[in-house]
Amino acid sequence: MPEPFLSIQHVRKSFGATTVVQDFNLDVEAGEFISFLGPSGCGKTTVLRMVAGFEEPSGGRIVIGGKDVTGLKPNQRNIGMVFQAYALFPNLTVAQNIGFGLKVAGVARAEIDSRVAEMLDIIKLPASEFGARYPYQLSGGQQQRIALARALAPRPKVLLLDEPLSALDAKVRVSLREEIRSIQKKLGITTIFVTHDQEEALSISDRIVVMYGGKAEQVGTAFEIYNRPATRFVAGFVGTLNVLEGRLGNAGKVQVGSGEIVLREEPADVRSGDIVSLALRPEAIALGRRAGDDAVLAGEIADVHFLGSVIRVRVRAGDSIVSLDTFNNPATPPPRIGDKVEISFSSGDVMLLN
Amino acid sequence: MKINRFWSWLFFGVGALYFVLPLISTAEFSLKMRRGAYTPDAYWTVLADPRFQQTFTYSVLMALATIAFGVLLVVPTAYWVRLKLPRWRPVLEFITLLPLIIPPIVIVFGYIRLYNTSSWLPLTGSAMGTNLLLMFGYVILSLPYMYRAVDTGLRAIDVATLTEAAQSLGAGWVTILTRVILPNVAVAVLSGAFITFAIVIGEFVMAALLNRPSFGPYMQLLGANRAYEPAALAVIAFAITWGCMALIQFVSKFAPRAPGAQH
Repeated sequence: MPEPFLSIQHVRKSFGATTVVQDFNLDVEAGEFISFLGPSGCGKTTVLRMVAGFEEPSGGRIVIGGKDVTGLKPNQRNIGMVFQAYALFPNLTVAQNIGFGLKVAGVARAEIDSRVAEMLDIIKLPASEFGARYPYQLSGGQQQRIALARALAPRPKVLLLDEPLSALDAKVRVSLREEIRSIQKKLGITTIFVTHDQEEALSISDRIVVMYGGKAEQVGTAFEIYNRPATRFVAGFVGTLNVLEGRLGNAGKVQVGSGEIVLREEPADVRSGDIVSLALRPEAIALGRRAGDDAVLAGEIADVHFLGSVIRVRVRAGDSIVSLDTFNNPATPPPRIGDKVEISFSSGDVMLLN
Repeated sequence: MKINRFWSWLFFGVGALYFVLPLISTAEFSLKMRRGAYTPDAYWTVLADPRFQQTFTYSVLMALATIAFGVLLVVPTAYWVRLKLPRWRPVLEFITLLPLIIPPIVIVFGYIRLYNTSSWLPLTGSAMGTNLLLMFGYVILSLPYMYRAVDTGLRAIDVATLTEAAQSLGAGWVTILTRVILPNVAVAVLSGAFITFAIVIGEFVMAALLNRPSFGPYMQLLGANRAYEPAALAVIAFAITWGCMALIQFVSKFAPRAPGAQH
């Protein structure tokens, strides 16, 4: 493995008696796009703020580009940061905002002007139209683009994005997140993106750090996090998950309601007769018997939600409610509540939760 | 509805008369220096008086010094408390309100006792030292207004995030204060400055007891010895105060607008 560009080593943070980050470790390669994903209060923003230098770690160290920056002030770290609330300087024009970091660094006026024009070009806001505007004359999406350009203008070593899309409406969020990713790839800048929105994290990250209770629950690609969650929390937090309770029998057989599921691998730390929790993604389950599926459960339609192209069906199987998605077909009406049905899936898609 | 409007206008009219009538009377009296005719003679007399020019100039200079020192004291303090010590805000608010509770005469007697010629810091021993002492006194008197104006200005911006944004762009504390915070509270600071100016121009107690040649004692002296000139002086003093108020209104139009504000 190449030498990490950004290394967060055994970092802790406590506020009084409350520990908000405990023994956090992460190595980030140069040019990588990492997302911190987790619910409110999981410590993701605190870790980001420690990397930025706004919070001092209670323990551990942070290394950027081979240099220990743990004791450095925020203005000595050469880090670009984009905030949820944009934080554009209201008294400065767009061009002055973008050039602020360069001016502070004592860069020559001509170079500032050229860099500002370059940044405005990157974020696709023409300098002639937007350069002289003030932040209050811009939409939320435009303001966040300017904030991104401002953070990138001084060519920082690391770009930190603290929930930059949370204040924007749904359409702008999607377009701007794709734009952020495309700019990040173009510039090759190492980036940490904090979000509580799993769709955002899954769609644009090289790797995701799922955080809970001040700890990294799992670090992996979106595919790994979604399909092979390491803990019950990750399985429940990322994507929609069906949890089936059943009693473990012999040879990996689990009794769920009137049906039976045979696990591909026998669980190591569970004994026969124990109650176990099995997890399944909605897209792994089919309504009716699907060719190739080796697990079938009988149930009754409990609920039907028509979502346009997709119909989400909830089926009661034993004591559990299972959600599954089927595509809308204009020729076939959706099932009705109370219908007796069968659901099928592959036992290979079943995850045993810890 | 019409009846309600009638009563509203009636109360407004009575209130306006209560405030305006004495002013009109004073202005009218100030123009009656020459028997049987309205003339601005009293104003010319006052404006031509070298003591008016001296005391007015002195008070203007004192006001400017007070504003400069007040801004240097209040802006960083209010900013720092808002940023780092938010729990101390009530304490600071209480301290800044004290000048409204403690009469200026108590403050100035305290100064004279503390800084007299036999004290360890004999500021009253020289004219410059006494000027300095008077300026400190004015800063104290204007503190409730200056602090509130600046604090209100700081409340209108996201101080913490703007500070962090500037820090992440490499700015130190001086740059943050001068290029980010101060320009965004400039209108609030100017409001505080104009109120300070009005207070200093008319202040009597401190200047009289410290024996400094300022405008307040001059007005009192003139009032005790002349008939029409004090009325003219009162109108001039009112005009200065109202001018300050008008300037506050005027400069507030140039406040940097927060993003998201209607335009």
